[in-house]
Amino acid sequence: MTSLSASFLRNRIRNERLVMAVVAFVFLSNLAQAQGVNPLETDPRAAQAGGAIFRAQCATCHGADAKGIDSINAPDLTLIWTREATTDASVFETIKEGVVGSIMPPHQNPDPEIWMTVSYLRSIAVSGTNETVLGNVDQGRNMFLENCSRCHRVDGAGGSLGPDLSSITGRRSVASLVNSLREPSSNIGRRFKPVSLTTAANERVLGTLKSEDAFSVQLMDSEQVLRAFNKAELIRFTRELDSLMPVFSEAALTEADVNDILSYLQSRRGRRPSI
Amino acid sequence: MIKRDLFEMKNKFFWKLIFSTFCLGLSTNLLGQSSSAPSLGVASNGGPVYEDILRGFDDPSRWLTFSGDYSGKRHSPLEQITPENVDQLRPVWTFQTGTTTRGRGFETSPLMDDGILYVTGSNNFAWAIDARTGRSFWQYRRDLPNDLTYGASAPVNRGFGMLGNQLFMVTLDAHLVSFDRRTGNVLWEIPLADYKIGYSATLAPLVLDDKVIVGISGGEYATRGFIDAYDPATGEQIWRFNTIPGLGEPGSETWPPDPEVLSRGGGGTWMNGSYDPDLNIIYWGVGNPNPDYFGDTRLGDNLYSNSLVALDADTGELKWHYQFTPHDINDWDSNHMPVLADIEWNSQERKVVMVGNRNGFFYVLDRVSGELLLGKPFTATTWAREIGDDGRPIVLNDGSKGCLPDPWGSTNFMPPSFYPALDLFILTARETCATFVPEEPRYVTGQSSFGGVVFIDGEQSSGALRALDVHTGELRWEFTYPSPTFGGVMTTAAGLVFAGDHEGNFMAFDVESGENLWHYQTGSRIWGAAATTYLLDGKQHVLIPSGTTLTAFALPD
Repeated sequence: MTSLSASFLRNRIRNERLVMAVVAFVFLSNLAQAQGVNPLETDPRAAQAGGAIFRAQCATCHGADAKGIDSINAPDLTLIWTREATTDASVFETIKEGVVGSIMPPHQNPDPEIWMTVSYLRSIAVSGTNETVLGNVDQGRNMFLENCSRCHRVDGAGGSLGPDLSSITGRRSVASLVNSLREPSSNIGRRFKPVSLTTAANERVLGTLKSEDAFSVQLMDSEQVLRAFNKAELIRFTRELDSLMPVFSEAALTEADVNDILSYLQSRRGRRPSI
Repeated sequence: MIKRDLFEMKNKFFWKLIFSTFCLGLSTNLLGQSSSAPSLGVASNGGPVYEDILRGFDDPSRWLTFSGDYSGKRHSPLEQITPENVDQLRPVWTFQTGTTTRGRGFETSPLMDDGILYVTGSNNFAWAIDARTGRSFWQYRRDLPNDLTYGASAPVNRGFGMLGNQLFMVTLDAHLVSFDRRTGNVLWEIPLADYKIGYSATLAPLVLDDKVIVGISGGEYATRGFIDAYDPATGEQIWRFNTIPGLGEPGSETWPPDPEVLSRGGGGTWMNGSYDPDLNIIYWGVGNPNPDYFGDTRLGDNLYSNSLVALDADTGELKWHYQFTPHDINDWDSNHMPVLADIEWNSQERKVVMVGNRNGFFYVLDRVSGELLLGKPFTATTWAREIGDDGRPIVLNDGSKGCLPDPWGSTNFMPPSFYPALDLFILTARETCATFVPEEPRYVTGQSSFGGVVFIDGEQSSGALRALDVHTGELRWEFTYPSPTFGGVMTTAAGLVFAGDHEGNFMAFDVESGENLWHYQTGSRIWGAAATTYLLDGKQHVLIPSGTTLTAFALPD
């Protein structure tokens, strides 16, 4: 979060007249009531106006980049659309009514402003691989089982050391997925941060950090066993920079191999896991 | 007709009186017969009077005001639980609110009198709880309007004030309510301000002999802060101190000469104050100017935002002030518990007030004159590293390029504690980093006006419990937490520090070394709240709010 993001944001300065124009448009169109479909869905100005509302009223908890703030359990709003149950109407409802049992309050804004905020959240949603990846699904499945499934699950089968990939293509672009294969340490997910430690009995343990407080750590070790340790009983506890995932270079997986794997993952997207 | 109704009412009242007198006699008799066992909580006395609150910890079976006494030290003289036996501390009971309401959990300091705890929760729930069993006598729930403003975003409460049989609580819809402590029934309630504009109230009222002092929340909205005094018997206002001056009033020269800017200048007073009965002065922190991050429309120092104000308790007249962050654009409200102590300063006895500030500095001021005695950073703040000879911070950067601290601050409203025998000020410190991007706000009634956004760098944050030498501001010891925590601190004369963290641990430390001696995982973060302690049936108990539970601890028999 540096001056780059700051200048980016400055460039998207809210235009008050625009907000008023969209509000007027909505009222005149008699579409102001809460309803199942976003009445502003086709209006490109709505997202821009919603951005201003978001920065004024939502950013304190959800962060200026809408990626959430862990310490107050405010969720990453760029990912909400990857859930099947999320619709414009459900997001509208959440903003309007708040979330019972959480810090998220109800909001009194006029309905059009809430729809604008919904439009804004749509516009910043993390986009998945929208285009169909050209690859061989069957071959991709084999490559996946051979290279990935020890640590990643798809359709309820596979390991758990890394994230479940059943719907990953809905959340990540081809470029970012390829980057994760070629340089896995460049962007490690929050629940998969690598740690290593040495116990008093001189056992060395490598794993992904699940939870931590001043006195203990909870992790999944490289054998995918959940383990917890008292910090006072450890000789060493280190946050590693390198992901537990191996680097897949061109030599290990060619571009064609990667496309096969991605088209396999894309073919599983949206399926319910068979348990 | 009217006369007859009145007569009937009098008659009914008469018979009620006879009946209740009979019942009272009966219960006293019953209790008298079983006096060998400690009776489960009975409010047998008329409740604490002002002199009882004034005596503070003299009767350690009581905890009658937010910090236990007026000084804000949160330092109990109890010595049963010691560094040697604290590892034996065990939970006695857990109270759960049983409510699935919006917002944060407990931030309250329960009051304790006669074996009964008086507790406020989030969303203006409140309870009287038997301190021996954790069972409740009554529960109060306020019917809150569904168009709350600030109160919807922070639906918390920090505790009751108490006098005689009356309890006092402020509400999210900006009211002050008086209760009968025996029933939880409302005796009177008065509005403090219009909640629809953005006002709300969350602190624990400060009760003096003939006044209930309260402050107001809502500095993120187009509001104007104040500190009020009310008559405990009737709820009538005695005085009001406006934290943002009116046009032409002293302090207004630090603002643009625009009544509209002044009328929405912010300066909330949402955390408790302390009181010096000898000087008859109230010490209270004032919050951020509005808009929070955008300062171009309010050029100047913006008094009395981000200041400590010393007010005459009888009149509300300003005696002196000290502004910690002139022209704040980082939302560093100065809403902290001011801690009063009499200490030896350069071989002279000084009455001081100490503040661990959200802006990252620890301050010691003479509380008679307001003279600044010390101002030293206690975190790696980058906005300023020292205070100049003129008493003003030497500002290094405005936060637009990063970094320290973030708008949640280097510490916040979680109570610190003062340990007199070692002159240590012990507080929760937060090491954080953020980039501020100001933007001129659009003012809409009932909507917040932060005036920009903040990028908080979560990767670079951590927390610590720190003990500062009050004479130098130097760090004596620290205990680090994996995340920037919001838990408060209490100390006891046995040499113990009790603190809570963001991961849910309630902990005890040796005050001399900072060594951790005991911890208990409460299951939810300890946020804004600090421990209290009291004697119950001759045995020291320690109480900590965490999430939506209260847990009482004691040593085994």
